[in-house]
Parts: sequence; structure tokens; C-alpha cells
Amino acid sequence: MESELESELAPQATAGQAAEPGPAAEPLLRLTDVQAGYGRAALVLRGLSVTVAPGSVVCLVGPNGAGKSTVLKVASGLLKPRAGQVVVDGVDVTGRSPQQLLAAGLSHVPQGHSVFPEMTVAENVLLGAYTVRDRSEVEARTDFVTELFPLVGERWSALAGALSGGQQKQVEFARSLMVRPKVVLLDEPSMGLDPKATAVVFEQVRRMRDAGTAVLLVEQNARRALESADVGCVLDLGRVHITGPAPDLLADPRLAQLYLGGRPKEVS
Amino acid sequence: MTGALFAQSLVLGVLLGGLYALLAAGLTLYFGVMRVVMIAHSAFLILAAYLAWYFHERTGIDPLLSLVVTVPLFFVVGYGMQRFLVSRLRPITLTTMSVLLTFAVALTIEGLLGFVWTGTQRRIQLGYSGTSIEVAGVSIAVVKLVAFGLAALSLGALYLILRRTSFGRALRATTQHPEAARLIGIDTDRVAGLGFGLGLATAAVGGTALALDYTIYPSLHWHWIGPLMAIIVVGGLGSIPGAAIAALLLGVAASLLQVPLGTTWAQTVFYLALFVTLMIRPQGFFGGRLAQRF
Repeated sequence: MESELESELAPQATAGQAAEPGPAAEPLLRLTDVQAGYGRAALVLRGLSVTVAPGSVVCLVGPNGAGKSTVLKVASGLLKPRAGQVVVDGVDVTGRSPQQLLAAGLSHVPQGHSVFPEMTVAENVLLGAYTVRDRSEVEARTDFVTELFPLVGERWSALAGALSGGQQKQVEFARSLMVRPKVVLLDEPSMGLDPKATAVVFEQVRRMRDAGTAVLLVEQNARRALESADVGCVLDLGRVHITGPAPDLLADPRLAQLYLGGRPKEVS
Repeated sequence: MTGALFAQSLVLGVLLGGLYALLAAGLTLYFGVMRVVMIAHSAFLILAAYLAWYFHERTGIDPLLSLVVTVPLFFVVGYGMQRFLVSRLRPITLTTMSVLLTFAVALTIEGLLGFVWTGTQRRIQLGYSGTSIEVAGVSIAVVKLVAFGLAALSLGALYLILRRTSFGRALRATTQHPEAARLIGIDTDRVAGLGFGLGLATAAVGGTALALDYTIYPSLHWHWIGPLMAIIVVGGLGSIPGAAIAALLLGVAASLLQVPLGTTWAQTVFYLALFVTLMIRPQGFFGGRLAQRF
């Protein structure tokens, strides 16, 4: 079944790769043949490779248990890979700690709500610059994120735990941008949000990209995520099975049937 | 109960509650940051009391000055205890196993105190030990006022550290969402060690305050750990303000009940409050949404 699917989609995969940046645009993040798992349990990632080019939104979709969130945990240092390589902007950072990977330019917004609920929005956002010592840089980044996410500035003194789910997600996005990351890793940002809040979240993912930050996005809501992404990767059983421009993946009938829950989207 | 007796009991209750608040703040700090149930907290409290007594015995100087040594010493011991003992426990069974580990530490401290200073009861006699001041008809022992002042100052310092310093913000972030804290660059292991040290430093202050007003003996810590555990559950595990409020309320309740019930039965108010909390609001009364996550 899988091999049949792969063979049928092979031309699209090629098209997808062709759409990726050429040699001139060195990827900001490259995971190569990564194998990873939890404890002594079987491997979750079985030779996964993925790249994120500058200024792009790359979306990982796939069924439950495919290893989507594990990819982000390996990239951000929460989980050490058993094999393979993680390279950020040309520097091999395989197996380094979350602190070191943050310094290398990767900022990870984990699944679910991850604000510090008993702290104000201001404290949450400023903690995003915990590793930044330069005060003027912190001020510049604060101006930047409050401009990008106006709600954050409006609710500056509010308790973060008192905000709605969608508002908390904006605080998390703002916090993740305080260190001027090269790539932001977003783990299911729409989880638990209503359709309206979900739309706002994906709009802000695009705004982050437009503001110059590359995004590696993991989503259950595959169709919605691919609509906001430049490149899509379909994961299954710990590997990337198909890579291609997100609009092409959305338009593919077999893919829509298997992973996107219905008919393909008509691409104009 | 007459009005004067009520006022007297109320004031004593507030003073006792202040000391409880400091000690419970330390205890809830361990749990908040590391999910560790620190049974040995009150054993360290008694150790600090012994050190204050011994310092006074040897030098004749006011035992409050022993804080210059015991606070940094306990901070370092706490940091080391977390990094070399507690952090070796498996995360999945950390809370349960920490009870056993710290129970063993408590027994070790009790044994060492008995070995070094025997089981004889000790009490510090100071120039102001028997002195009282009278305010609006209420007589207040100076040592109780000093102990309360010490506790209030320490709680104030703890509050400032947690609210106004970069370390305090990192500690609170680690308490509220450890994974997110790691992802923004906080070294949560180091913060946990420093948090443990801070918790044990409160035991040093509390023990010294205790030594001013109480007769001490090696097994006295068992008398304290039950009420302190009850306070942090009532206040909401991990919540320092919750622990302080619960400590003051229960301290006052125990003090008021001493008149009709006697000292022994008055202590049951802590356990009664614990049972009621576990039955109707297991997350505690003052811990907010953070406590609900434990």
C-alpha cells in the first residue's frame, strides 16, 4: 500500500523538490536520516530527512503516531537522536541541549498551552529573552513582537492564564520570537482552538514567515496547515514519504483521501 | 472565652502562623519546582535550631547571628542534595520515591543529632527570653515577636527574590511549565538545585526562630512535619502565597482552639483541615489553576 502510494506520487514529489530553493539558498535547518525514539521503546523516527529553507513555512502532516512531534523534539534538543544529523545554518548541532539549540537559532513552541499561567503577558514575553543580555536588543524585540501581535501589547499586564486559548497561542508565538530565531518550530498550534481562533493562528504563522522567520509546523489539521504552508511533508511510520509544494499536495486526490479527510482542494 | 483571652490567642496565633508560613513556603517550593515531597524539611529545621543553640552555648552570642553561617550552609547543602540525590530519582516515580529518600534523610539527621548532642532536651536562655511587651492589654513574648519578625522578613525576601530577580522568574517559570522553561533557555536542572537550596535556607531561618522560643530535642521534627504538610495541601501544592495564607489561618485556628481543647487536641485542626480539603477541594483552596495541574 505504501509503496504503491509512493510510486503513484513520485512525480509530485519530484515537483515538490524542484520547488524548493536551489543551491544558492542553503537550508536553515536540515535533519538527515534521523532515528529517534523514547527510552527503550521502538524507534519513532526511522531515517527521517527534512529541510527548511529561509523564509518558508514547511508543514509536517501525517497520521497519529507518524512521529510529527518527535521531529520537533529532536530538532529542539528535547530528545537526542540515536542516529542522523541535525544542522542549523550550516552548523552541526546534533545531540545538543535545548539551550544550545536555542542559541543556534531554533525556537520551539510545544504542543498545547505553554504559557506560564500565573505570570503576566509581559513576564511571559520578556522571559522569551531570558538568554539575551543586551537590554536594547530586548527592547527592540519587544517592539517587534508587539507590532507583529498587537493583542500581546494590548493585554501586556494581564495574567497569561486568564487569556483565551487563541490569545495564549499569540503570547507563545511572541515569546518564541524574542531571541530572533532562524527557525520557529510550532507543534500543533491549532490544538484545542475553535475555527475562528484557528484561522487567526494560521494567519499569524504566515505573518511570522513574512516577517522573515522560517517555520517548521506540525499539525493534525492537515488541510488547514497546508493552506498556510509553502512546502508540505507527509510523514508515515517515522519517515517522510512525500515532499512537495503545499498546493500540489492539497490538490492530490489520493493524498486527500488518505491524509486530508476528503476531496482534494481545487487549485486555480 | 473572654475578650482578652480571645485577643491574646489571636495574637499568638498570628505569630505562630507567621513561623508556619515561612516553613511551609520552603516545603511547597520543593514541591512546586521539583514535585518533591521533602519529609526532611522539618528535620533540617531542628538541625538549624540545634546549630543556633550550640552556637549560643559556645560563644554566648545571640543565636540570631548563627544565621550568617547556617543560611549559606543550608543553601549549599540543599543545592547539593538536589543535584546529587534527588535528581538521580527516576522522573516517573520522583514524587513517591522522594518521600522515601527524604524520610531516610530525616531519620539520619535525627540519629546524628542524638549521637552528637544526646536526646536531652535543650533550650536557649537569653536575656530577653522571659520578657514580654503589652499592647492593648495583650501580652506578647519578645522571643515570639522576634521569631515572627524573622519569618516575615524572610518571607518578604523570598517574595522579592521570586518576583523581582531573573532567577526568581526562571524559578516560577520552571514551576509553572518545566518544558516551556527549558525551551526558552532556562537551565531547569540548575534552577531546581538553586530552588532546593532556597527552600532549605528557609529551614535555617525557621530553625533559628524556633530555637528562640521552643525546647528542642532530636525527634521534635515529627511534631512539625504533619502540620506543615497539611498547610501546603490546604494552601494548594506548589503555591507559596497559598501556603502562607493557609499557615496564618490554621495557626490562628490552632491557637484559638488551645483554650477550650488544650494543646494536644488543638493540633488536630491541621489534620481536620487536611481531610476536609482532600474531600472537597483536593487541589487546595488558595493555589489557583497552577495547583490543579498537580
